[in-house]
Amino acid sequence: MGYKKIFNVALGLTLMVTGVWASCVLASDPPPEGETGSVAVRLVLTEGAVPADDPNAAVWNTIAPAEFKLAPQVHWPDRIQEVTVKSVKVRGMHNGQDLAILLEYADPSEDAADAAAVEFMVGDKMAHFAHGQEMLQVEGGDVNIWYWKKEHGKATDMTAKGFKTLRPQENQDVSATGAWQDGTWRVVFSRPLQTADELDVQVTPGEWRNVAFAFWDGEIVDGAVKEKGSQKAVSSWWYLRAEPPPDNSIYGYVVLGIVLAAGFEFFLVRKIRRGNES
Amino acid sequence: MKGPLAKTAILLVGMYVFLKFILPLFTAPLPASLIFLYLALTFASAMIFYTMSGGGLDEFMGPVGRFLTGSGQAGIAGTARILVFVLFPLLVGWQAYTRLAPSDMPPAENRTIHPAPPGEFVGLANPYPTTPENIMMGKGLYAAFCSPCHGANFDGKGPAAVGFNPPPANFSDPGTIAQLQESYLFWRIKKGGVGLPVEAMPWKSAMPRWEVELPDEWIWKIIMGEYDGAGQSPRTWEEEE
Ligand code: HEC
Repeated sequence: MGYKKIFNVALGLTLMVTGVWASCVLASDPPPEGETGSVAVRLVLTEGAVPADDPNAAVWNTIAPAEFKLAPQVHWPDRIQEVTVKSVKVRGMHNGQDLAILLEYADPSEDAADAAAVEFMVGDKMAHFAHGQEMLQVEGGDVNIWYWKKEHGKATDMTAKGFKTLRPQENQDVSATGAWQDGTWRVVFSRPLQTADELDVQVTPGEWRNVAFAFWDGEIVDGAVKEKGSQKAVSSWWYLRAEPPPDNSIYGYVVLGIVLAAGFEFFLVRKIRRGNES
Repeated sequence: MKGPLAKTAILLVGMYVFLKFILPLFTAPLPASLIFLYLALTFASAMIFYTMSGGGLDEFMGPVGRFLTGSGQAGIAGTARILVFVLFPLLVGWQAYTRLAPSDMPPAENRTIHPAPPGEFVGLANPYPTTPENIMMGKGLYAAFCSPCHGANFDGKGPAAVGFNPPPANFSDPGTIAQLQESYLFWRIKKGGVGLPVEAMPWKSAMPRWEVELPDEWIWKIIMGEYDGAGQSPRTWEEEE
């Protein structure tokens, strides 16, 4: 009978260890939340077309914005100590094919030189948020910058790797439209998730990308444009991800787990009862 | 409730409370997986101890068997048994879900804040004497170049601080410059964020590379002004030994 007892004990032991494990898992610390403000832009998955050139499409209002604070650019010359745009609300959408990103920010006046930009790291190499400037101990990669200016009325798809290397790309894949109303700019950028250009960021649903923002107030003060070139409002890197399609196989695994656990209990009790009878 | 199993249960609970709540008062908290490993080892040891010392497996596991089969149980014990039988599969299902569900959180940022400096910056001494004039000059330069980010009060709360992640260092916090030597600051100010090694994520840092704008003499004097203004003093070689 020795072997039966050992079997029973082994089963009981498994159950107890599982109990201890479960209590530890339940008591483990929750994942850290972002400290203040947002840390990531989520491109919400939708069906049908994305509002690629409509900053005022009603569907934008169904998406909760991420909000990022902005700083006057004091990281490299020429610096600026005070800027107009203090923060930006960002909403995003994709349909598996195309993406659209809406930037909404306060700017009291509509000016020809008002401008906005979104920056991405490209490929696997890390790039510094300031135009992919050279790093001393790490080999950096390119950044891809999508630039919109009111007077251009369109987007420019650009590349940089270090200061003074910013240039428009040969392949222009981005479009943009801006609408100003009552002191608020709403600018929407759009592009296919994937392009054939190796200088472009490729957005793959489910994968995280690094993103940063910049804004220029083009108001004319004393005969000169107030913010231009490196004199702008900036952020450093935050995250962006296109929502992956829902994966229903998860629920199959959950049901499988429940069935296996219940079956385990059933056979365990039966085995112990039989052991006790004999 | 005097059986070996009850004793083991009490031992495990005591162990858990110690590892989870008491130990973190003295050291860093343990990860849940490590706590589990320690408890599993404790349980296995208790098993071996009781089964070797006379009583045998039956005495040790008997209560478990009786509980599970429900023999001679009524009232609370009976209800508890049903509860265990219902909760266990649900727990397994919930675990499967949390393990497989796609995470909505961005990648964790385990950024090393104070990585080792390059060799040529180790042990450099400030070549300028700590005179009131030098401190004054350092504070003036600090106000001009550093305060937009690190703050006029050395607290990391300058007007440009909000846009940056990681935020500019707070020099009045005893965890920053008071932990460091002057030579370390000299390296950080000269080479900036882009001078950091990969584990410190240089691509995220807004700290400028001041060597392209400021002469070494200014940097050494800024260091003096920074310690004086923040009410901290640099860590010295003597403290290292
Ligand atoms: C554009 C904003 C900005 C400016 C201007 C700036 N810093 Fe920084 N500084 C940062 C940020 C962000 C960090 C934290 C990230 C890092 O360690 O690189 C930092 C970190 C530091 C550190 C490292 C502290 C530590 O605990 O390791 C020192 C020292 C420092 N700065 C000194 C200065 C001095 C001196 C000046 C002026 C000459 C200056 N900074 C100007 C943004 C700035």
